[in-house]
Amino acid sequence: MRHFFSRRTTLAVTAVGASAALLVACSEPAEDTATTAAETTAAENGTASTAAATGETTTITVYTSEPEEKVDEINAAFEAANPDIKVEVYRAGTGDLNARIAAEKESGSIEADVLWAADSATFETYKAAGDLAELQDVDTAGLIEEAVDADNHYVGTRIIPTVIAYNTDIIDEADAPQSWADLVDPKYAGQLVMPDPAVSGAAAFNASVWKNDEQLGEDWINTLGENQPMIAQSNGPTSQEIAGGGHPVGVVVDYLIRDLADAGSPVAAVYPTEGAPYITEPAGVFEASDNKEAAERYINFLLSEEGQQIAVEQAYLPVREDVGTPEGTPPLHEIALMTPDLQVVTDDKDAAVELFQNAMQ
Amino acid sequence: MPALPLMRVGVWLIVLGLFVTPLALVVALAAGGNQIPVLLDQGLGTAVWNSTYTTLLSALGATVVGTAIALLLDRTNARGTTVLRLFLLSPLLIPPFIGAIAWLQLFGPNQGLNRFFGTEIWNIYGADGVTFLLVLHSYPIVYVIVAAGLRSIPSDLEQAARISGAGTSTVLRTVTLPLLRPALLSAFTLTAVANLADFGIPALLGSPARFETLATMIYRFMESGTVANPLQTVSTIGVVLLFLGIASVTADHLVSRWAGSKLQDTGQALRFDLGAARWPVTIVAWVLGLAVTLGPIMGLAYRALLPAPGVPFTMDTITLDNFRRSIANPRVVEGFSNSVTLALSAAVICGVLGWIIGLLVTRTRFLGNTALTLTVLLPTALPGLIIGVGWLILGRYTGTYNTMWVILGAYVCAFTALVLQAVRAPLQGTPLAVEEAARISGAGRLWALLSTTGAMAIPAAFSGAVLVAVTAVRELTVSILLIAPGTTTLGVQVFNLQQAGNYNQASALSLMFAVVGIVALALTVRSPKVRS
Repeated sequence: MRHFFSRRTTLAVTAVGASAALLVACSEPAEDTATTAAETTAAENGTASTAAATGETTTITVYTSEPEEKVDEINAAFEAANPDIKVEVYRAGTGDLNARIAAEKESGSIEADVLWAADSATFETYKAAGDLAELQDVDTAGLIEEAVDADNHYVGTRIIPTVIAYNTDIIDEADAPQSWADLVDPKYAGQLVMPDPAVSGAAAFNASVWKNDEQLGEDWINTLGENQPMIAQSNGPTSQEIAGGGHPVGVVVDYLIRDLADAGSPVAAVYPTEGAPYITEPAGVFEASDNKEAAERYINFLLSEEGQQIAVEQAYLPVREDVGTPEGTPPLHEIALMTPDLQVVTDDKDAAVELFQNAMQ
Repeated sequence: MPALPLMRVGVWLIVLGLFVTPLALVVALAAGGNQIPVLLDQGLGTAVWNSTYTTLLSALGATVVGTAIALLLDRTNARGTTVLRLFLLSPLLIPPFIGAIAWLQLFGPNQGLNRFFGTEIWNIYGADGVTFLLVLHSYPIVYVIVAAGLRSIPSDLEQAARISGAGTSTVLRTVTLPLLRPALLSAFTLTAVANLADFGIPALLGSPARFETLATMIYRFMESGTVANPLQTVSTIGVVLLFLGIASVTADHLVSRWAGSKLQDTGQALRFDLGAARWPVTIVAWVLGLAVTLGPIMGLAYRALLPAPGVPFTMDTITLDNFRRSIANPRVVEGFSNSVTLALSAAVICGVLGWIIGLLVTRTRFLGNTALTLTVLLPTALPGLIIGVGWLILGRYTGTYNTMWVILGAYVCAFTALVLQAVRAPLQGTPLAVEEAARISGAGRLWALLSTTGAMAIPAAFSGAVLVAVTAVRELTVSILLIAPGTTTLGVQVFNLQQAGNYNQASALSLMFAVVGIVALALTVRSPKVRS
């Protein structure tokens, strides 16, 4: 018989495949036992608030949309300070996190202890559905007011403003746009890029903030549309497009621009004079969690001076005034933020997304 | 109970557990509420139309290109086909969303060639770019299926035509291609169904041009939080895709009733002599082959060697840091070993399962055969995310949640169709006579089936299993919801880097495993021994 794959390699590959399958079959039950052990520990923790004293370890699971490298650093520092708690992470985009949580609810209860992602609006939804526990011992003293939820069901951990960014190879610093109003200048026609509010929750939030802003409003969005901005899927591709020079001016979250600039890309960020819309990447504890105390200790660490110091080193704006800001960034109190009525912005989001889409056609 | 019905029952039980249950869970989710009005309001109609025509065009394109390549490589005396085959198969090893990033380097606005020539040669954003990339990433699948089909075409028919004075093109047109019809149809259906579900390409190339397909629409609802019950809404889109999938598989079934022909595989395959055209054809094939395969690989390498986008490419700026950081990341190492284990296991299971199901549906007459084919092919039409949702819920009920088993199950569900489509064509072509001969010699019905026709289909099943392995090893959307600490996969690692805005390290990682994959293919692929 004539083979596409020679017979000898066929045999070899089949053998490798078969042994791999065997290996999986053998190793998997062991992993199962490990999981069961972890679950048992977790179950015991209802009564194991004294775990630290007895030397037992609690494992908490965190669902987050933080980049992996960054959450690794945080967890290493947290575990060093809290040797009785081990942190496991499931990292995915906010949409995938929501899907996983929804599917877990569909078939039982939510498996994670901490949710750390996205924006206040997402957390408001979970709060309304009764999925979040009220925080008992989270210390919000010393935090800026933008980070705090009045009902105390979640707390912001970073300030992530959306800013104007430009490619410094193509645009001179002197010519760079300084305000949202500058972006509608016809000289930026075909030069702009921004994330899609129909896909990115943060971008939808921004669209609603702009629409409800007294200075900008619907007119500004419509005029911006005349400049034909490229609509990228989300913030990641937007920052790449600016740095690559395809569209040298863009609207994007500030920390991506600092990350790229640190890596050597010719980009710079401008905090617009009218103020920047922002999200706070809140953290909260699930009602179904058996490890609420350990989970709150984790959140307290995120908010602590040490945790916020790490955030600043990771190019984020912090939620405390006493840890400074990333290099080359103005101090926190000098950055103008747009702080609209959260309720108005949330309610008007769908209309804003539609307006935005029609304007950008 | 006799052996054959027993096997049929066994196969059905496996199919019910691995295919029907997760799909039923998705349908049940969708049935929880009527989301159709919301979806229609959000542009469901346009998305269905966009998905349908890009899918049909790209499947047609992939079938034409894949078949041409199969004929060229396996049936002509063009030069250097062994190496060329490797290049031409390389798009299989690059995840589609990375392929899209690589091509953006070349044809994005103000990028690559568009910048080099100072004018816009081609703007890759839009329906044309999406179709082009879909063709590029699915023609290798067509090639593997058609190549398996070509091997079962007896050369005596072609030689007979030759002897009667037919030229190469006449033989191709009147003998080879008509005999290939079952394989072409299998390949067309499979690529159509698979492209229907592709997410990475329309997400990167379609969305910026406001071109939405069903798969990107799912993503939009998942991400934006603009609908009240996203899981139910996307499951409803999943059901729409299921209907499109059912339509295409049914069409396949109807057409294949006329396409089937029983042939005896005899002797060595014929290599067409290209004559004076040999060198021109060789050169054109190499230039095109290298352009579509090395082009994006160079794009990736360019990206991977630079520390960040926008940095000028000079000897001072290039760095191996992206490679170093990828290898040093423990999760990348873990994802690599998990993906390889999962891919090999899935390849073995899908290979055996697809082979048995292929035998059952082509070589026995039974009422449920069409339903069996349909069930195995359908998951391919669903975006990985939806298969992930089905398996996530199934995993919760079966206690396999957060283990490798749930990912393996989802892979078998998603990829068995690749093997089934690869074996169906050669199986349909085998004459009944060989089984009858075995039965006359005293073999039972099952043994007669397995030892004759079954044994002849093993090479095709193996080709299918290799397809499963290379698809699963770079797979992303199925596993993204199913991974847990310790069970991450390579595709998810690449995607996480891309999402974090780190395209350069994502490029380095994909480049490394494309190269590893090409080496692995080079070790397994041998050119068919053919006399010229």
